[in-house]
Amino acid sequence: MSADQVIKTHAAFNSQHIREQFPILKETVHGRPLVFLDSGASAQKPASVIDSMVHTMRTQYANVHRGLHWMSERATEACEAVRDQVAAFLNAPSRDEIIFTKNSTEAINLVAYSFGALLKPGQAVVISEMEHHANLVPWQLLRDRAGIELRVAPITDDGDLNLTALQALLADGKVALVAITHMSNVLGTVTPAKQIADIAHAAGAQVLFDGSQFAVHRKTDVQDIGADFYVFTGHKLYGPTGIGVLWGRSELLNAMPPFMGGGDMISTVSFERSEWAALPYKFEAGTPAIVEIVGLGAAISWVEAIGMEAITAHEAQLTGYALKRLADVPGLRVIGKPKDRGGVISFVMDDVHPHDMATLLDRNGIAIRAGHHCAEPLIRRLGLTATARASFGVYTTEEDIDALADTLIKIRDFFV
Amino acid sequence: MTHTGDVAALYDELIVGRSRQPQFNGHLENPQATGEGRNPLCGDKTRVEIGIEEYHISAVRHVTRGCAICLAAADLMAERVTGLKKAEALTVAQKFSAMLVGDESHSSSGMEETELGILTIFSPLQSHRARIRCAELPWVALKEALSHVDI
Repeated sequence: MSADQVIKTHAAFNSQHIREQFPILKETVHGRPLVFLDSGASAQKPASVIDSMVHTMRTQYANVHRGLHWMSERATEACEAVRDQVAAFLNAPSRDEIIFTKNSTEAINLVAYSFGALLKPGQAVVISEMEHHANLVPWQLLRDRAGIELRVAPITDDGDLNLTALQALLADGKVALVAITHMSNVLGTVTPAKQIADIAHAAGAQVLFDGSQFAVHRKTDVQDIGADFYVFTGHKLYGPTGIGVLWGRSELLNAMPPFMGGGDMISTVSFERSEWAALPYKFEAGTPAIVEIVGLGAAISWVEAIGMEAITAHEAQLTGYALKRLADVPGLRVIGKPKDRGGVISFVMDDVHPHDMATLLDRNGIAIRAGHHCAEPLIRRLGLTATARASFGVYTTEEDIDALADTLIKIRDFFV
Repeated sequence: MTHTGDVAALYDELIVGRSRQPQFNGHLENPQATGEGRNPLCGDKTRVEIGIEEYHISAVRHVTRGCAICLAAADLMAERVTGLKKAEALTVAQKFSAMLVGDESHSSSGMEETELGILTIFSPLQSHRARIRCAELPWVALKEALSHVDI
């Protein structure tokens, strides 16, 4: 990208204005300005999200769906308005298909439990080699509980999903569900969701996408990709922790038994039996994360005010810049070369362990993640034990990437 | 490089040197006992083999896949406990752990210095708490190996 283009991108995006809205970016770490390159693990929060949550607790807080009083009505309205927002954010056909969960992990566990309850021994679930443990372990639990088979679709050495192999895994017609990441948290690979959904549907399977990473970087349209289930989490989308979302087609959600029992998810209860509430409440037992739901709504509003397209363009430009800068670091190898990469880059360095890189970067105020990124089988598949990972957010700048690359060069000098 | 002083202390020349050229890596011909340490968070792994002669640890070797801190800790542990009795080695292990978490009762008085010896170069880990596990991993393996010998 030429200098002119860079300036143009910056002008349209106004990085400085965005950064000013994140109070934490004014903090220093070990006496240095914070360079936060760990948004893939959890993103920082803009003031509007923080303020919305404080405002709720200060002025309009009560339990929802229960109280016949003014405060409860306001809190209920606020939460239900976020359900509408989330439905629009995902382009879901109906707000009743939006289930609030604790996070993506809980959303996937919900599907593994409740959709899993419909499966019979002999049926199968397909995942891929590049799943986060959150989209692997729940299916192992289901396998052991229900006697189903768990199949793993391979990736190519470049880090793309092997679609031919996926198709072959579905050929016997036993697969009930394909559960695959929409963007890898290790490789940054954006998977071809539409094609995966077509392959799954052609074999009579449903498809679940783990959108934890994708939904933060690109416009998500569950109808366009043909998903049956979609999950994402608030805290990676500049919202609070403790709030995630499951979207599912109502036909499937209606057929599934509840995940947890409790208040809010019933219509009538007697000591003998209970009847379930209609969607979405059937899957929302107990008092929800009221303040966090409001925070998620504020986060979505904030992201939409900037525009997902602008965010995608900004991150694509940064990722390209980072790949270029990292290529100049001696001994450094970027892991994977997917056809379509989001703002996540894993790398290793000859003679320097990822943990040593992370500690030395940290002492320079630079936060990255090192380890297996909750994707141990993938790291093993890649022939590694750990990687360092830089992941980008809406507030990441080229200066952050320069700081990373320059410090990595010094770390390499230090060790070799 | 542009790091602050405590990183220079953590990545002491000896630590970096031992991580690059360990002196006690490899295998013993006839180990009396072995132990293993794994850190599931980072995939680091160390296997420790010990030889016993006349109630003493006569030799220690390790095969370690890990970061600089873990590798150097394994190597310097091997150096430090060679020649000790089981009980003495376990005492050093205890003092080492106490030093890492900054337990003042085990801080380096003259006595402690002789007991921890070279291992005190890991004391800067007190301010890098996330990395304490890296230095302790070889000791987990050693303790497992020692649990198999009755001396």
